[in-house]
Amino acid sequence: MFTMGIDIGSSSSKVVILEDGVKIIAGEVIQIGTGSTGPKRVLDEALSKAGLKLQDMAKIIATGYGRSSVEEAHKQISEISCQAKGVFFLVPSVKLIIDIGGQDVKAIKLDSKGGVKQFFMNDKCAAGTGRFLDVMSRVLEVNLDEMAEYDARATEPATVSSTCTVFAESEVISQLSNGVAKENIIAGVHQSVASKACGLAYRCGVEEDIVMCGGVAKDLGVVRAISKELKKPVIVAPNPQITAALGAAIFAFEEVMAAVIFAFEEVRGANK
Amino acid sequence: MSRIETIISELSSISNNPRKAMEDYKKETGKGSVGVMPYYAPEEIIHAAGFLPVGIWGGQKSISKARAYLPPFACSIMQSVMEMQLEGVYDDLEAVLFPVPCDTLKCLSQKWKGTSPVIVFTHPQNRKLEAANKFLAEEYRLVREKLEKILSVQISDEALNNSIEIYNENRQVMREFTDIAANYPNIIDPIKRHAIIKARFFMEKSKHTALVKELNSALKSLPVEAFTGKKVVLTGIMAEPNEVLDILKDNGFGVVADDLAQESRLFRNDVPSGTDPLYRLAKWWQEFDGCSLATDAKKSRGPMLMDMVKASKADAVVVCMMKFCDPEEFDYPIYYRQFEEAGIKSLFIEIDLETTSFEQTKTRVQSFSEML
Repeated sequence: MFTMGIDIGSSSSKVVILEDGVKIIAGEVIQIGTGSTGPKRVLDEALSKAGLKLQDMAKIIATGYGRSSVEEAHKQISEISCQAKGVFFLVPSVKLIIDIGGQDVKAIKLDSKGGVKQFFMNDKCAAGTGRFLDVMSRVLEVNLDEMAEYDARATEPATVSSTCTVFAESEVISQLSNGVAKENIIAGVHQSVASKACGLAYRCGVEEDIVMCGGVAKDLGVVRAISKELKKPVIVAPNPQITAALGAAIFAFEEVMAAVIFAFEEVRGANK
Repeated sequence: MSRIETIISELSSISNNPRKAMEDYKKETGKGSVGVMPYYAPEEIIHAAGFLPVGIWGGQKSISKARAYLPPFACSIMQSVMEMQLEGVYDDLEAVLFPVPCDTLKCLSQKWKGTSPVIVFTHPQNRKLEAANKFLAEEYRLVREKLEKILSVQISDEALNNSIEIYNENRQVMREFTDIAANYPNIIDPIKRHAIIKARFFMEKSKHTALVKELNSALKSLPVEAFTGKKVVLTGIMAEPNEVLDILKDNGFGVVADDLAQESRLFRNDVPSGTDPLYRLAKWWQEFDGCSLATDAKKSRGPMLMDMVKASKADAVVVCMMKFCDPEEFDYPIYYRQFEEAGIKSLFIEIDLETTSFEQTKTRVQSFSEML
């Protein structure tokens, strides 16, 4: 049986196709999100990779910022519940998830069964999000996927505001014009992102194992900065951008199974 | 339309259109309205003068002119009040009563840009001393004097004691309403509940009392229906704009009690009995607890909220955090820890009257619903 999870974020679209609730047979990402062609394209790519059709899916659940606009989905579940489900599936020892996406930062505390105990999200501000890193990458003329390497070479991290992306951008421009090394500025940018995320983590209560997911988890400079701030190791979820889509696909599988069991019990009850 | 629907519709219409309520009052009585800024002004003095006290709680609008006078970190109630002052929205008020229990109000009270006269007074924060009652009664004496002068009326002790009784009856009826409404969340959804309470700000209180009394008895005559959603207690300054309440409703939440400064905090205590009306009003402030704007050395808000959860059999608390309200922000870590220790689930949502996009609130509320 195949189920599908679709996670439409603000800046990327992700799809996971799951076989029998355990085997990921497609996990695709396209780096454009809600309101774009991304959702349709990523859906087609995932189906093509799995060699399946939409009709082969027993259930489809959508999550993420654009979850309400996915016509193919049978149901919507919030990305907080889906992240918890997906990360717990991959790392069952997880107690705290730090999820940094395109425009949201979330800290999610889990119980021992993977249920959400508490969560906190950033306020309506791009500081500390993937968008913040996008802006900095453009100003610094350093690709996002190179930022961790620059950070690793930093000798004296610069101070970059964590309050506002616009202020931080002008701070970075001013530091560049003062000749501060890009390596040190990038380390400062990563610390700025970490301070936002860790503020939410502290509110939740920091408990190991800590797992990071979302697109920003691919930037190991941010992961290192968070680990340093929390003084604890941080595990990066395998393929961290698809964890919410994976959670949605697991939810879809569980709901199909629950319906099957319910129907079975009904028939058994009727035959008694 | 049933009588219940008619009353709800009437109160909702008043709460959505305060200007019309003011005009109707003027037509009926020949007297105007006096604005009442948050928080905890002695409206009874205005009522005793025969004028209509009208609550000023800002509104959902984008801010531009107010930026010249307020820093961006002033709460959105004050931002929108300032914006509307500059647009002349409050200029037909006879006067504005202006308490200053927070720093933003203190500063705003000194830069009122409307044309109506403003009467500023101070709530003492060493509230539990007898001297606080004497101080506040003296402040209220000055408020009365200034109102008498501006409105060209005499406000007798007798009239004031009578108004206090009218307000106390309204408080009692409102407490009954919130208790009864908790049994009928299918009928009294979060938006209707808010509108019924908010209409208090724009109606002569005995008229509001009469309608809510009738609503209470009509509700009580109905069988209690099962509610399949989750029951919550709201805490904070206010739960506006209505989109926030819509999101709660859409996700199956019913509000069974609240601790909002705009709602139940105003009527959870009666003004105590006595003969000197100004002293009675002052004593209300001393007896009032569990509000971030009233210094409370015992920090009783958390325990009060937990009692509320227990009494209303609520599933959780929704913290409606007014953005940039530092008194509320300072209270939060204290009661949040108490909730955690007691195993009470809570959701933190941000309240900002200027906001037009509610996606984050939707995600938070949906996630919370899935979590419970």
